[in-house]
Amino acid sequence: MTLYDKIMALYPNLTQQDFLTVITLQNDSDGKGDYIAKWEHPTLARPTEDQLK
Amino acid sequence: MGTLVLSGATSGSTTLQPTDATTQTITLPPGGGTAMVSGNMPAFSAYYSGSPQTPAANTWTKLIFNTEDFDTANCFDSTTNYRYTPNVAGYYQINLICTVGQNGSSTTGYSSAIYRNGSIYVITQTGQVQNGAYGNQSFSIILYLNGTSDYIEAYVNPTNTGYYSPVSNLRGVSLSGSLVRAA
Repeated sequence: MTLYDKIMALYPNLTQQDFLTVITLQNDSDGKGDYIAKWEHPTLARPTEDQLK
Repeated sequence: MGTLVLSGATSGSTTLQPTDATTQTITLPPGGGTAMVSGNMPAFSAYYSGSPQTPAANTWTKLIFNTEDFDTANCFDSTTNYRYTPNVAGYYQINLICTVGQNGSSTTGYSSAIYRNGSIYVITQTGQVQNGAYGNQSFSIILYLNGTSDYIEAYVNPTNTGYYSPVSNLRGVSLSGSLVRAA
């Protein structure tokens, strides 16, 4: 399950537009995998590490 | 403004060269025309070589440019960070080609972006790429880079599972650029 899938499982109402505006998931192709580069959603809290396990 | 006249330069090209910098020259072509500056205008071209890559959906994934066509000032990192950090301040034209494909069960849209210093500088977006089809995003921009710490990278972001570089080694995923005006 990708980071995106995990976040969508937590917040199923997020839209693709959200991921182009207030949320940025990123992978720098350095072997470290996907991560949350930006979370500026006006109402939903940034997921914790525990929630993303 | 003054005028420098080189007495005796009556034919052929004329080269101006500082005594302490043999790689920096200005050549005036014979019979008029545009003065050319060589040796200090960085240019590069690099592309992805390898099997297709599969970035995760809705995730900005850095494009890998692991093969260089040329890199005149050794400013492109094609082994670790896949970024261009030119060593001359000025305005650079940067060209990105990003060819993508879709072989999953659904269509996907793609965005591609040029990042400057780790943040998105410009984004383009395609329409939907059908299952089994290909899409292409190619664009050029001109942006300022300070010649010391500024760098650029390129990222891709599919809306569903897809891949980039469906035909490897043919520069379908490539980044190139050159200085067009010094600061």
